[in-house]
Amino acid sequence: MICSLNEIDVMGKRAARGAGYSWGLAEEAGKAVRWLSAFGLPGPESLANLLLGKDGVNYDDFAPVWSDAPWRAPAGLLCPLVAGPALCDRAAEIAAGKEFTLETTALPLLLAPFAAGVAKLIRKPVLLSWDSVEIGFSAAEASIPDICETLTVPTTNSVVCKLAATGIDAVPGRSTSREVDLGTWKALGEFAGRTFAPATEASRLTGAGAGLHDND
Amino acid sequence: MSAADTLSAADRSQVSLRSPNIVMRLNRMGAFHQCRLSFMRTLLRRMKREGWVFTRPVFDIDEKGVGVAVYSAKGPERTYSLVSFAHDLPPEQRSDRVIAHAWDATFALFDGVPTNADIDRLSRNVPKQEAGRVSETELTLLRANRSVRLFEHVVACLAEGRQPDREQVEMVGYLMRTTAVYGSGKFGAADYEAIADRPEFFAPFQAEMLSVFLARAFTLDLAEHLAHCRAPDMAVEIAPDLRRRFGVGNSTGLGLAPFLVNHPVLLNNWIAAREEALVRVRALTDVEAPDVQAFHTMLGRAQRNADDWHSEHPLQIEKLEALHADLALLEAHVQTNFPDGDRPWDRLYEWAEMTLTIEGQEQLVSLMLEPYGSLVDDLTDTMGADEDAAFRIDAAMPLDQLLALVEEIYSWALKIDWAAPGNVARVWYVSAEKLEPRLGERFEEPVEPYEQPLAPGRDATAMHRDIDAWDGHPNVAAFLLRHPEHRHMVRRAQIAARYPYAEIRDNTVSSDLLPIDLLRCKLSFFGANHFDPRSDRWVRINMFQNAPFPDEIAGDDADDWSYPSLTGDGS
Repeated sequence: MICSLNEIDVMGKRAARGAGYSWGLAEEAGKAVRWLSAFGLPGPESLANLLLGKDGVNYDDFAPVWSDAPWRAPAGLLCPLVAGPALCDRAAEIAAGKEFTLETTALPLLLAPFAAGVAKLIRKPVLLSWDSVEIGFSAAEASIPDICETLTVPTTNSVVCKLAATGIDAVPGRSTSREVDLGTWKALGEFAGRTFAPATEASRLTGAGAGLHDND
Repeated sequence: MSAADTLSAADRSQVSLRSPNIVMRLNRMGAFHQCRLSFMRTLLRRMKREGWVFTRPVFDIDEKGVGVAVYSAKGPERTYSLVSFAHDLPPEQRSDRVIAHAWDATFALFDGVPTNADIDRLSRNVPKQEAGRVSETELTLLRANRSVRLFEHVVACLAEGRQPDREQVEMVGYLMRTTAVYGSGKFGAADYEAIADRPEFFAPFQAEMLSVFLARAFTLDLAEHLAHCRAPDMAVEIAPDLRRRFGVGNSTGLGLAPFLVNHPVLLNNWIAAREEALVRVRALTDVEAPDVQAFHTMLGRAQRNADDWHSEHPLQIEKLEALHADLALLEAHVQTNFPDGDRPWDRLYEWAEMTLTIEGQEQLVSLMLEPYGSLVDDLTDTMGADEDAAFRIDAAMPLDQLLALVEEIYSWALKIDWAAPGNVARVWYVSAEKLEPRLGERFEEPVEPYEQPLAPGRDATAMHRDIDAWDGHPNVAAFLLRHPEHRHMVRRAQIAARYPYAEIRDNTVSSDLLPIDLLRCKLSFFGANHFDPRSDRWVRINMFQNAPFPDEIAGDDADDWSYPSLTGDGS
């Protein structure tokens, strides 16, 4: 189906919240998925794959520990929806030349919007790389390679985020992708559905408070 | 407007903006009135200035009131068309709630002039509203229900060759009321970002206001058409002066309230524009006679507006009594004591702060802007928001700096006992039933697990407690890695530090909360008057009442309709 970027953003936020992320992280997950769709990348699909694979895992198991050493999750697999915002949070250190290495990480493509956020925050070009993929980011653009298996891998052993030595050449012709696979949308919808209170007659009568009569 | 209506930077600096601790309280936000900067007025001023042309290329509606009509508005560069579907709705299905499934009329604002294929596609989707899909060529999606009290009366009178009863028209004020107006990417429509670079959409909600403005014309045309179908030889059209008295009703439920909390930068920009406008007028050192006269006239028209404003709701009746008394005091005061002193408007405002209720103070703020279009109207271009620019957290910020921000911005919240049940009595949640936003009772209903993050005061206090107890690395990044539950609150606090009017400085989950205060704030910026609460969480308003119709804009003053005229007719 064809979705607006706003719908993709809201669905991403609700789905992440439904999967147990805090509201602040869920807000950033929504924006990340939107960013990927705006750059023609499989945002909703990546999020659905991540959530389906990680459902029920505790935050403490997949969040990095505060450290200068390579980031590692206590349970072995870093979550990009936690590591991504954490990278953004350390943008000033990246601007000062620090390189961050993330050990085993799920869906590294979901880190791309956050690396873009770092570049925007520090107004300097930033590089994000894993396996054979290297993506460059400037304040408003990104050099994203063609969609391939490596770009959308479910896990990678190592991701690096650092300042780019040179400027970024944006890849021309990449257009926004508003098309979302129905199965993906349904999967995200099921996570999002957990944030909605079940309909009850009492809530129907009082919760919205139409009051008096609404047909006059 | 006179030569004195200009302001030097030195004069401007003599008056301060009102503090957010005064402005951003719910009781004051619930007393706001429309003003020159309101979005309906901004739209009509632009269309007049730019010479927009209006046509009705399609009107294909049968004698039962079923069919389609298209209303096109052509601006300097682009045309927008309201594709309007009229339905034959069984009365028992008529409801203003989000949970309704059918309506008397449904609409979409099309970007351009629709082809027959476009209309055909929309006819299969727009009437279903949320259950259908629109596309990036549509900018808004809306629906409306007939006023049972007035619609049939008007059609019957016109069919009998006479004008509808003026008293009844004025008591209701509209033939239809919209029950939802969706924009910005809803149900597949164009994202706001896709049209944000068009000057006609710099001010907020312009596509939505244009949709409602054109829908108003449709409701009158529909009633006249049905009268004509009923009695082709007898039927008459509505007399022009009476026609102006019809606006479009709007039924607004809880959904608008979370919007203000969820869009802090946008809220700031609306309030900041109005506050800056107030300062500019207060800082004027001279007041010229034509401006004094204009103010006196608008004060009289505001009194008539208050006279025309009816409500059955006890809270609103009380507010209206206060407004009447305040306007009488204000009139007596300005007759003898205005203008006076170095900065007469500033003195008048300070008098009002000491003398009038909040209702009257806020009415005065709006009235003071009326004579000064060339001094304040440019502020409408500052009322949109680039929310993305404020989204990223500054996590290098030292924690003690964040703590200081919290203590300054949320000082009111830190004084509240959040363990007291009455202070956390309410829960904002979204129902699985058509995703209707609702407000529940925390201790009486099982809704807390579904709570939306709409209690910044409570959340700021919880974050303050955890920062106090923190002994890790002393910056925001380290704190948030351990405390992801405070992430949304850090964002809010940092936004509120940069945008002073971004945060409502009151408890939004208290047992005392009146959601209608939030609704009135937002609707006043739309340009509504005659707020008529139907409960503590549901408001009816009238939009574009007294405004010129599309075919009248070119030959009329497009911005002289927000208050009724003193001569008896609408404008």
